[in-house]
Amino acid sequence: MSLIMPEPDQLTLDNSESIIADLRKISKNVLSEEEEKAVYETDGLSVHRQRPIAVVLPETTKEVSEVLKYCYRNNIKVVPRGAGTGLSGGALPLKDSVLVSLGKFNKILDVDFDNRCVITQPGVTNLSITGAVQHEGFYYAPDPSSQIACSIGGNISTNAGGVHSLKYGVTTNNVLGIEMVLIDGTIIRLGGKNLDPEGYDLLGIMTGSEGLLAVITEITVRILKKPQSVRAVLIGFNTNDDAGNCVAEIISSGIIPAGMEIMDKPLIIATDNFAKAGYPRDVEILLIVELDGTESEVDTLINRVLEIAKKNKASYNRASESDEERLRFWKGRKAAFTALGVISPDYICMDGSIPRKKLGNVLNEIASLSKKYGLSVANCFHAGDGNLHPLIMFDSNNAKELKKAEAFGADILKYCVKVGGVLTGEHGVGIEKRDLMCEMFNNDDIQQQLSLKKAFDEKSLLNPGKVFPVLHRCAEEGRVHIHKGKTRHPDLPRF
Amino acid sequence: MSGTYTPNNQEEISQFIYDSYQANKPIEIVTFNSKPIGRSIQCSQTLDLRKNSGVIEYAPEELFIKVKAGTPLIDILEILKSKKQSLGFEPVDLGYLYNGKSNYGSIGGVTSCNLSGPRRFKSGALRDHLLGFTAVNGKGECIKSGGTVVKNVTGYDLSKLLAGSYGTLSVLTELVFKVVPEPEYAETFVLYDLNPKKAMEAFSVAMKTSLEVSGACFYSKKNTEFLRLNDIDSSKSVTAFRIEGPKKSVQERIVSLTKIFKEIKEKTVLELYQSNLFWKITANLECFSNSQNLVAKISLPPTETAGFISQFCEDDIMDINNKYFVDWAGGLVFLEINDKDPSYLILEKIKKFCKEKGSHITIIKANDNLRRTGFFVSTSDENIKILAAKIKQSFDPKSILNPGKIYAGI
Ligand SMILES: Cc1cc2nc3c(=O)[nH]c(=O)nc-3n(C[C@H](O)[C@H](O)[C@H](O)COP(=O)(O)OP(=O)(O)OC[C@H]3O[C@@H](n4cnc5c(N)ncnc54)[C@H](O)[C@@H]3O)c2cc1C
Ligand SMILES: Cc1cc2nc3c(=O)[nH]c(=O)nc-3n(C[C@H](O)[C@H](O)[C@H](O)COP(=O)(O)OP(=O)(O)OC[C@H]3O[C@@H](n4cnc5c(N)ncnc54)[C@H](O)[C@@H]3O)c2cc1C
Repeated sequence: MSLIMPEPDQLTLDNSESIIADLRKISKNVLSEEEEKAVYETDGLSVHRQRPIAVVLPETTKEVSEVLKYCYRNNIKVVPRGAGTGLSGGALPLKDSVLVSLGKFNKILDVDFDNRCVITQPGVTNLSITGAVQHEGFYYAPDPSSQIACSIGGNISTNAGGVHSLKYGVTTNNVLGIEMVLIDGTIIRLGGKNLDPEGYDLLGIMTGSEGLLAVITEITVRILKKPQSVRAVLIGFNTNDDAGNCVAEIISSGIIPAGMEIMDKPLIIATDNFAKAGYPRDVEILLIVELDGTESEVDTLINRVLEIAKKNKASYNRASESDEERLRFWKGRKAAFTALGVISPDYICMDGSIPRKKLGNVLNEIASLSKKYGLSVANCFHAGDGNLHPLIMFDSNNAKELKKAEAFGADILKYCVKVGGVLTGEHGVGIEKRDLMCEMFNNDDIQQQLSLKKAFDEKSLLNPGKVFPVLHRCAEEGRVHIHKGKTRHPDLPRF
Repeated sequence: MSGTYTPNNQEEISQFIYDSYQANKPIEIVTFNSKPIGRSIQCSQTLDLRKNSGVIEYAPEELFIKVKAGTPLIDILEILKSKKQSLGFEPVDLGYLYNGKSNYGSIGGVTSCNLSGPRRFKSGALRDHLLGFTAVNGKGECIKSGGTVVKNVTGYDLSKLLAGSYGTLSVLTELVFKVVPEPEYAETFVLYDLNPKKAMEAFSVAMKTSLEVSGACFYSKKNTEFLRLNDIDSSKSVTAFRIEGPKKSVQERIVSLTKIFKEIKEKTVLELYQSNLFWKITANLECFSNSQNLVAKISLPPTETAGFISQFCEDDIMDINNKYFVDWAGGLVFLEINDKDPSYLILEKIKKFCKEKGSHITIIKANDNLRRTGFFVSTSDENIKILAAKIKQSFDPKSILNPGKIYAGI
């Protein structure tokens, strides 16, 4: 598929050989053979592929700094990469770029129970952090489904969420500090083992910045003590509306479940076949609600949730009676993407966020779009926080189907924005949703974000072509949303 | 243009800033002027935002409220209360600190200071609850970021940056906050007569349990007389732990705490009413009510706090005796600094300590002299200052919004 990326710089391409030689003087881990680079040519959004000039795997912050300084001086683009599980193409290399992989930053540096935090290098996987602290009953809260594979550095850069974000927050609510390297090689440390760094909240702006502002080389996260008791309930419904209303009512009754997930019929069957989770197969929609706290608290809350479910015409319910059973409930949901891979050769995963009360609405709209495009769709939602993952199935051998699938996905996201939601809840904009940014933001909004980018990276060398529409695109397509029929200050610069 | 301008709405705010941008005229931004915080600035123009006020949308079932930035915080709290909801960062009323009377100020002012109360270490800071905003930047352009939903990674998270920027990047016009259900019930478990070191150890022990402590503070024995609560013995140091949730669960967890601290003889439990009062007094820094001295807050890794206290707060042998208290389960110290030493030697020493121990100090109450000449935040990293200056420029290229409020020259 054609994807417009910033024009490759011919001089850089012509100098590839000498650039590789120079990089070898800085780092002993420089990959430049085609087959070595092939591993890095794509991320979780595998419909797009591109090999960079070279892949560098630095081992120290100083090396990262030197690589960046070199690229900065020679006007070479840099793409940072963690584990490459990103679903929006954020780590897709550019033809004339150097890919900086944090793969060798794979050590946990300090486990500090007294200050309830862990200091780690960015290449460490999300799950290993919990692995390092669970013997004392602690864990790291944000739990993306990709947690076995994705890196904590990637999590910071995408502000990853998980099924427990409803109660315990997403990545940004759980990071205490970072060390980062700016494109000119400057090393900066933000925050640490204490709360709320002073001055501007640079840590907040770095979280979710998709590798456009700086390369993260060290991270301090807070860890939490595991709750005394955790139980989950499965609740089945026959209609989207009943399920949607049940979710809204649980939340408005003052209960904040630890997690609240929805799957529709195609996924119930696919995940149950795949993971033997014990799901009911005769319901249209399945809700998994997890509650935690003290034992008596959890029991009280489970009863309240079941009452609300009954009121909303639930046709099935089952509360977990053991931790084994609870984990089995989750095993299906967490394997959703893999399970779907078994039934469809290809799918794209969308990631809109909507107001909870629109859940039923949006599900119905997705169903009618599915008919319109003639493509099947399966849905899993982080229902508690209104974050949807429609999975659109297609066959990549049929070129038309990919185009259709992408148009279908874009329509879903536009609908999300229309009902008061946003384009992406946790996967990031990357290249995938870049050209939809003007659905949500006007020219001034985007211009402000671009000037902030310049404050960090005035030459726009770090991960260019991501997140923002490539130069002029928004305006050329006439999609700039003009407020009240006129732009406000026509004399100010535009992008 | 000079004097005070009080616009009615965003359009007028935008026009005023646009004109000031064209004319290179700096602006001091205030709403109720309840928080004389930050370095003092000299501007011929003051932009008073109190008229840009009112609730735009409150959706209790969606857990958000959208308000104009000039809305008095107290009004917002009352509306939320009617639906048994509140703001999760436990807003702080600094009115007591500045002039002895309640004055929550405006939601815009509180947001600009990223002020969060005792629940912060468990539930996050104000910035963690700000879902989105509309603002006017230093060129007069209306910009927005975020939305009304909790999960959102569409573009840079500018809400984080604007929270705590003290009005130096943009003028906030509309804010969307996440709201949370009010806890059903609460009690506070109190240990008496611990010395600071023992109190910090007690925090550490409690925080390593799964009892979900949602407030943990320490008042030394010389700073308890203002705690005029029936159920508190204010002749001894107080180490307090708040437990919230369904009543039965709260009481079970209080029993667990009692067991954990069984060797400590003197202890008590504050029930709902007294507990709520205790944390209100704590959140509002009432121990410094009407203080005539400087007040600073120091954010530390909890394990450094005992050392900090013995150096700067209380030490019998060294005859150090400053009024202070510890919040955030050991992560935050509020310290009163005697205003008599004009060289503020102690501030320099604290800055040095902070640099060495991964901590930082923010002056929250200063006299006019220090606000003109002194520092407000302790950032010592020149590279951070350079980056901060560039960020300021990206929002406010001519530096007309609260110039110099956080850093001199930025
Ligand atoms: C099966 C599956 C399930 C998933 N489930 C979830 C989920 O539940 N929740 C969720 O939020 N996401 C999910 N994801 C998406 C993905 O795992 C997350 O976005 C994750 O945070 C990416 O981490 P990564 O290490 O793979 O980063 P990459 O894909 O390598 O990079 C992601 C972005 O971050 C940048 N980046 C990476 N490391 C750094 C660094 N050290 N410094 C600066 N920039 C950097 C890259 O440039 C890129 O823009 C899922 C993905 C898959 C494949
Ligand atoms: C009753 C009273 C007592 C006072 N006592 C003292 C005193 O003891 N000592 C003293 O020196 N001064 C005192 N002052 C003056 C005081 O410093 C200022 O008037 C005050 O800062 C204003 O309001 P606020 O309560 O709404 O938030 P503010 O205190 O107005 O604002 C706090 C911070 O947020 C910024 N801000 C506010 N609204 C916005 C917005 N919408 N967008 C962006 N930034 C914003 C401001 O620029 C400021 O940095 C007092 C004032 C009053 C009215």
